[in-house]
Amino acid sequence: MATNPMHQFNVHKIGPEINLGGVDLSFTNSSLFMVISAASICFFLFLGTKEKKIIPSKIQLISEMLYNFISKMISDTAGSKAKPFFPFIFSLFTFVLLCNMVGMLPYSFTVTSHIIVTLIMASFIFVAVTIIGFMKHGFKYLSIFVPSGVPALLLPLITVIEIISYLSRPVSLSVRLFANMMAGHTMLKVFGGFVISLGFLGGWLPLGFSVALTGLEILVAFLQAYVFAILTCIYLNDALNLHH
Amino acid sequence: MSEPKDFKTRLKIAKKNLNDEHSHESDKKGLFMGSAFKLGTELIAAVAVGTIIGFILDTWFDTKPWLIIIFFFIGSAAGMLNVIRAAKRMQKNN
Repeated sequence: MATNPMHQFNVHKIGPEINLGGVDLSFTNSSLFMVISAASICFFLFLGTKEKKIIPSKIQLISEMLYNFISKMISDTAGSKAKPFFPFIFSLFTFVLLCNMVGMLPYSFTVTSHIIVTLIMASFIFVAVTIIGFMKHGFKYLSIFVPSGVPALLLPLITVIEIISYLSRPVSLSVRLFANMMAGHTMLKVFGGFVISLGFLGGWLPLGFSVALTGLEILVAFLQAYVFAILTCIYLNDALNLHH
Repeated sequence: MSEPKDFKTRLKIAKKNLNDEHSHESDKKGLFMGSAFKLGTELIAAVAVGTIIGFILDTWFDTKPWLIIIFFFIGSAAGMLNVIRAAKRMQKNN
């Protein structure tokens, strides 16, 4: 079904079926596009850092700008204590960005439009941040659930609210990325379908919309990767610098 | 064309800019749509998490439907708290 706007999100196996202890580990088109994204990051950064010239070439300039951008983002939001986590956030940002951007190419597959992918990334961040918080502060880390200056009567209620607020972090982080990507790509496909069904006479208006939406989607792809990374920094900041 | 001395001063300036935490010259116009969507998901996620916790506790203690109702409201409160925090963070950045 080429006209079904949800058809683009189908995951199908590529190559032989791999079954390890009852777990299906087959290589799918989703895994293929993850590999493509990761490989293109590696390839691009390899080219960018191959020759370290004083007057940089264009590709070196872009990779240096990328480095500066993320380094500045971390120091702005999470302070200097978060510097050791630079490689993690850099990989996270570039991976999400490339997955979104590769998904913008025609006939490609958007890895981040599946909630399981974004939820796994967000849960990993959530668990890691919690562990970092406990490692840095011990049981004092639990004090983020108890805001200061609350009457004793309200304290149990506020604590439960704070815990739910904390637990909702991975959900909001993953749903935001997934919903943005899925909604945008569905919309693109729907408008593309209008172009076909309205034919040569009526198809120009949806075609114009399609072009505008493509531009918007590229913006959203960048923005969501940025938001994903910056929220990771903010959560990291909460864990590293304990205050409210 | 490359003079090492000139390069060193430029490197110094670049490093200084990197460490300067109060420089916000980057325009954040494109962030508005993202921030609107962000507030929405913050609210919904907390309500969903609260309700799910209520549902799980209900099946544990066999107290249907009381805990799911209570935790729905607590989750809504947590959602509002999330929205207020996110909005404050956005104000601080501007």
